[in-house]
Amino acid sequence: MFPNSLKLLWGALQKSRFDNAACNIRGASRQPRFRPPYWYVPKERVWTDDYLTKENKQFLEEVIKDKLEAQTALEKKALTSPILNDVKKNVTWTPQTKRVGLIARKIGNYPLWCKDGKKVSTTLLQVVDNHVIKYIPPEEYKPMIKSNVKWVEKQKYGCILVGAENIDPSVVTKDYCGIFDSVGMLPKRHLCRFVVSPESALPNGTPLYATHFRVGDCIDIRSKTMDRGFQGVMKRWGFKGMPASHGVTKTHRRPGNIGSGGEKARVWPGTKMPGHMGNRWRTLRGVKILRIDTKYNVIWTLGVAIPGETGAMCYLFDTVLPLKRNKTAPPFPTQPFMNDVPKEYFEDTIHPFDEPTISYYEEI
Amino acid sequence: MAVTLRKSTELFTVAKWLTRRDCRTLSSLPEKAKLASLEVTEKAETSRRRPKKVNPLLENRHAYPEFLPDPNPKWRNSLREKLERADMLKRRNQIDIPEFYVGSILAVTIADPHSQGKTNRFVGICIERKGCGLRAEFTLRNVVDHQGVEVRYDLYDPTIHKIQVLRVEKRLDDKLFYLRDALPEYSTFSFDMDPEILPEGTPVPINPVKVELKPKPWLERWERQELQGISNIEQYLTKKDKVRRELRKTPWEKYDLMKQYRKTIPIEEQTDIWSEVNSQLQQLQLARKKSTRKRTFSAPKTQLG
Repeated sequence: MFPNSLKLLWGALQKSRFDNAACNIRGASRQPRFRPPYWYVPKERVWTDDYLTKENKQFLEEVIKDKLEAQTALEKKALTSPILNDVKKNVTWTPQTKRVGLIARKIGNYPLWCKDGKKVSTTLLQVVDNHVIKYIPPEEYKPMIKSNVKWVEKQKYGCILVGAENIDPSVVTKDYCGIFDSVGMLPKRHLCRFVVSPESALPNGTPLYATHFRVGDCIDIRSKTMDRGFQGVMKRWGFKGMPASHGVTKTHRRPGNIGSGGEKARVWPGTKMPGHMGNRWRTLRGVKILRIDTKYNVIWTLGVAIPGETGAMCYLFDTVLPLKRNKTAPPFPTQPFMNDVPKEYFEDTIHPFDEPTISYYEEI
Repeated sequence: MAVTLRKSTELFTVAKWLTRRDCRTLSSLPEKAKLASLEVTEKAETSRRRPKKVNPLLENRHAYPEFLPDPNPKWRNSLREKLERADMLKRRNQIDIPEFYVGSILAVTIADPHSQGKTNRFVGICIERKGCGLRAEFTLRNVVDHQGVEVRYDLYDPTIHKIQVLRVEKRLDDKLFYLRDALPEYSTFSFDMDPEILPEGTPVPINPVKVELKPKPWLERWERQELQGISNIEQYLTKKDKVRRELRKTPWEKYDLMKQYRKTIPIEEQTDIWSEVNSQLQQLQLARKKSTRKRTFSAPKTQLG
């Protein structure tokens, strides 16, 4: 090893000037500080007028049609694969295994009623065309290095790339298309990686449905909060502001004092100040699933605190909260498509609207 | 002299008209011209009338306003609205939710774990109706033992056992919050009121009653809201109130087309929504009519027995 690199060095020295070679040696000895994963490629295409003829357009349509056929074939192959259909599974779910998650769209809120007559607000999440794009085993999966870590644990988890929402391939860049094309899929609008344990690997092209989660389970939901722009201290941090009258001038919504003098005569790090509010990734943990629609793949979750406005994309995971984790095995590695599932699942406490009116009886 | 002249001219015109009528078979040309002109006027009239012709589907928006979603584009989603409508129809299949308006008198029977017999019946006048979809709600007001009582009900609450309309009518205003400041007799209704059944096909009557307000202090500045249903508001207003009312008036807002647009669902979307739910609503209406007929037949029997 050592003589080899010496040789290389010698060659480099011979080829180029000395100062250049020195730079190269320094660069090679250090790991790159920022290494984004390979699927982080620009997605939006710079729009150009292509002046396509009719024949060209026809040809493109044909190509897309062929690719769609290939994709459905891949889907079928994935659905008939032994991983999903083996009754006697050699891999079983344990509380430590990490399953794949889903990409969903927040589509609104409306109330449901419990069987005891209590009204609960719910958020609706639609799971749109979710497909497994690729499984990357732990040996190949190298997450982004964020800080100068001296000792790295051996990788325990792999990752699964999941795409959601089909789009027209001509509106995204070639690089982005290439990620999907390499596994025989058409590009998706959203691409997300889920860290999974190697038992829950899935074949490429497996469709994921809302029934991946069960009614009554708790999930973690990660999405971007509403963008509120540059906000003052009252809205951003809930400061009280100052009085509206009694001689107060020009300081009604201002923070006031931001520190004392002496040793601390500077602004301390972390001081709450005006600034940009919202548009940040936040995770809401332990949200209960109350109802699942299998036809439209919609999940009703308890509460209205899911970050983001209507139409925001969310990532759904099995919860990590120790008291709310799955006690029994969920559909593992995922719930395959089935024809004879009921149209809707309801949590035990939820009153379906097509059931007779709630009435109370005397306790005897 | 003048009278006779006029008479003669009248006679003459009448004679002319008669002769022309009689001679129509002889020469049709002038008649034709006249007919053509008549047709033109008729056409003009019909064109004037044309806006009155309305889509029967769209008429549902008065009886079932909660089927239209909130027009705020931030909260719109076609799938959510569809699921919501399906849930509403499922609930409507369970109990009969009748057609009523602000100003109608309702009796609501609701499951109540704290009352004797586990149900509670409340009678009152509907003073407000709001919310879209499953969030739709209405407020009933009554005066019980000299104490004003208001109860807010969710229209699609599954604990509601029965919604009975005792009197269908509209009032002059969209919201009747001013009943809170009016004399109590305007919002007092007895709990053993009998339902008044309108003959079939009659339009919903508008009750033109104007309430008398109590003297100030009031809960709101009623004088600024351009309310039709108050008779004696002027006598309580000071000069300053009147000046302020004039200053706060926004007469230009009725010409603000964008404001109107933002508040309403476009006709195209409404027709989609109504064509989706109309057949089921019609069926429910038919079922309701059948049941009311049965009730009217069965009532005398029980009296006899």
